[in-house]
Amino acid sequence: MSKVKISFNLNYEDIVVEVESNKRLLDMLREDLNMKSVKEGCGEGECGACTVIVDGITVTSCTVLAPQVDGCSVITLEGLSKDGELDKLQESFMEAGAVQCGFCTPGMILSAKALFMKNPKPSKDEIKRAMSGNLCRCTGYKKIVEAVEIARDK
Amino acid sequence: MGNFNIIGKSVEKKDSLSKVLGTAQFAADIEFENMLYGAVKRSEVPSAILKNVDVSKAKALPGVVSVLTYKDITGGNRIGIIIKDEPVLVDDNIRRIGDALAIVAAETKEIAEEALKLIEVEYEELEPILSIEDALKEESRKVHGKTNVLQEKHLIKGDVDEAFKECDIIVENTYKTNYVAHMFIEPEAGVAKYENGIMSVWCSTQNPHFDRGEVARTLNMPQNKVRVIQAVTGGGFGGKLDISVQCHIALLSYYTGRPVKIVTNREDSMKVSSKRHPIEMKVKTGAKKDGTILAYEAKLTSDTGAYASYGPAVVARAMTHISGPYRIPNVRIDATFVYTNNPMAGAYRGFGVPQAAIAHEGQMDALAEKIGMSPIEIRLKNALRVGDCTPTNQKLNDSIGIVETIEKAVEKSKEVIFNEGEVK
Amino acid sequence: MKKKGTGIGCMWYGIGNTGLPNPAAAFVEVHSDGSVTALVGCADIGQGSSTVMAQIVAETLGVKYEAVNVTAADTGVTPEGGATSASRQTYISGNACCEAAKVAKKILVEVAADAFGVEQDEVEIKNNNVFVKNDESKQMDFLTLMGELKKRGKIALGSGSFNPDTTSLDPVDMHGNPYACYAFATHIVEVEVDTDTGQVDVLKIVAAHDVGQAINAQMVEAQIEGGCAMGIGFAVLEELELEKGAIKNPGFSKYLINTAMDMPEIYPIIVEDPTSTGPFGAKGVGEPALIPVAPAILNAIYDAIGVRFTEVPVTPRKIIEALSEKQN
Repeated sequence: MSKVKISFNLNYEDIVVEVESNKRLLDMLREDLNMKSVKEGCGEGECGACTVIVDGITVTSCTVLAPQVDGCSVITLEGLSKDGELDKLQESFMEAGAVQCGFCTPGMILSAKALFMKNPKPSKDEIKRAMSGNLCRCTGYKKIVEAVEIARDK
Repeated sequence: MGNFNIIGKSVEKKDSLSKVLGTAQFAADIEFENMLYGAVKRSEVPSAILKNVDVSKAKALPGVVSVLTYKDITGGNRIGIIIKDEPVLVDDNIRRIGDALAIVAAETKEIAEEALKLIEVEYEELEPILSIEDALKEESRKVHGKTNVLQEKHLIKGDVDEAFKECDIIVENTYKTNYVAHMFIEPEAGVAKYENGIMSVWCSTQNPHFDRGEVARTLNMPQNKVRVIQAVTGGGFGGKLDISVQCHIALLSYYTGRPVKIVTNREDSMKVSSKRHPIEMKVKTGAKKDGTILAYEAKLTSDTGAYASYGPAVVARAMTHISGPYRIPNVRIDATFVYTNNPMAGAYRGFGVPQAAIAHEGQMDALAEKIGMSPIEIRLKNALRVGDCTPTNQKLNDSIGIVETIEKAVEKSKEVIFNEGEVK
Repeated sequence: MKKKGTGIGCMWYGIGNTGLPNPAAAFVEVHSDGSVTALVGCADIGQGSSTVMAQIVAETLGVKYEAVNVTAADTGVTPEGGATSASRQTYISGNACCEAAKVAKKILVEVAADAFGVEQDEVEIKNNNVFVKNDESKQMDFLTLMGELKKRGKIALGSGSFNPDTTSLDPVDMHGNPYACYAFATHIVEVEVDTDTGQVDVLKIVAAHDVGQAINAQMVEAQIEGGCAMGIGFAVLEELELEKGAIKNPGFSKYLINTAMDMPEIYPIIVEDPTSTGPFGAKGVGEPALIPVAPAILNAIYDAIGVRFTEVPVTPRKIIEALSEKQN
């Protein structure tokens, strides 16, 4: 398979990688760059477990090809905590009890993060709408929405 | 209530930090040096006689390390939590869409997928059994053994026929539920590594000790040489109680001497994992004019699909619960669960009780309406209390909180749901 | 037109396998620095059983929650835990942990009594402190106690197992004691039915659950809320399409589940009527959380539009069909 060289910003660091031109962003992040927080739940952009933030917007990384992020900035959950200090969303998800099986958690936190980047004080309805592309089968979403509200108010 | 230091407190969950950091290791996240990727060739027809599986072309594909069929299984080729009726790899008949026919290990997951297309399966298709009616016909082909009846059971307390004669009001209805999928967000996955005579299996599972036994039997190894380690598991709801990848990855690692990973895709996960049993429930409830229930009769039929899985547990639990949390002196429950060539039904959060509750609660409201009582009143009147006996004649000695839950729910509903003065 | 209705659903649920032995076991060891390891067979699938086990072990031993680490579901090191199913792990593995911790604690108490020069029943261990009841002068911290164990060549190790007290069911009439205890619940829901589109919106769910004793209140609520989501799906949304043995909608794009936008207000209520046989009185809640939801919704739909549905899921198409049939 032909490889292409792409450069992009991953979690606040500029990187250059050579990647197969037909590789999904999801697979490049997980396999080539060891960003294991990015999860595959369905492979068709429906469940949101593979959500990452590309240039400030949430993207399901299973429906995007790796070369498409050339020149972009990409944030995964690994980019949220710095030097052991948690992002306020990570703290609030723990505090609210919003984590059960944890498979949807990375995508959920990133969807909330992207929402805050655009709108630091979202209403409850705006939060629900922003999280509606991320499926969770465990929690019933109540504590997830509460967690985002807690982080908003911090 | 006790005076506790820690019990009852909402302490921080032990697993929450690694999960918000994204470092929690699910099975698909596990990597080993020299690891191979596995894939499973599955049947596309619901019923057939398997004639031959030709793996020669698949084996010849560069990057393919191993292709296995039932002939390579050194131990037992039947698995299952209650009845061992499901093949690890089909050796006689295909019994459903999604049955595993062959497994591949290759250097990359793409090569493994490519190899599946090169496996040539020869089979003679049979007319599938797709309904309970067809399954029960005497002349019908048998999915397993000598009968298509997985279980037929009866629960009898008192004399319902006599009791119905004493009733002022009788309500009869037929309730039906459909298949439901678990839809845990993490599809089944696992990694096996055979090293120094020990088979280690990391997998997404709800029951590693059961998995250990099944892997050990498949490989004809003692249980103490098989180590199953539950990886962080992305939801289960009953759908990860059956064997998924465990035996397949163990076989591939055993034959290749290398670590092998299988990550199931969503479509295969949904086709192969068990479903909630669709149950038809014909129910008759009889009461006196004052709302006292005297008799309850239910006939349950269900299609358990191609394999028993947790079917027998669903039968027993649906039967023992379908009269609801109520004191009823005369009860008769009959249940028939059959094998077909439909998807396997099994454990799913509640084991038949969510289906049964639709019946007993529908009956309570229908009865209340006919008598002219409120739904709450009729439930409080008949609710189980300490000292009462269940339909299996079990005497309840303590911790019977049904009345308190009704009262507390009503109290809260007055605040947040019911309009003023309205208690339904 | 939008029509509101309310409905009630009750349930009971026997904890553990039906009329079958289903034991679980645990090991507990207190280390020389006072930290504790619990080895438990029970698989945590996100519901939080390892947290529950740590709370039970900490409470039983008299140490802090943070001092307890749980290694779970590894057949190389943990004893049999049975399946994480039948809402059984808090009750059964929880009891096993409680037993194991009691055995380990007995060794701690023996040594403390010897070191203090008092009878064993005078010794109390609470919140990481070791002391003699009614004699404040006699106390030591946990590290000192562990030093006393070391001097005497003792290891604070306990194992425990628990099998619920059930009987097999009679093959003729199914009489017997299938479960050692039962959980109970009542849900009251409010729905709004759109008679033009057939859409059913669940607006509110009040969910009262008798769990015996909550080990972790927030996690009990979380189970209830998750059960509500799944129950709504079962009642009005999730429709698996089967054709000639084939599932026609094997994915999230055609098999829909609820999103954050679909969820009603949920009011979980924890009722605690302890069972004498549970760890600190606890029963279970995982499956009970789901069970009353669908029946309560069906009863609420009847209240809203006067049609009693006996089949699920009640999709918009079925509502429209039923309403037009009712009119004719």
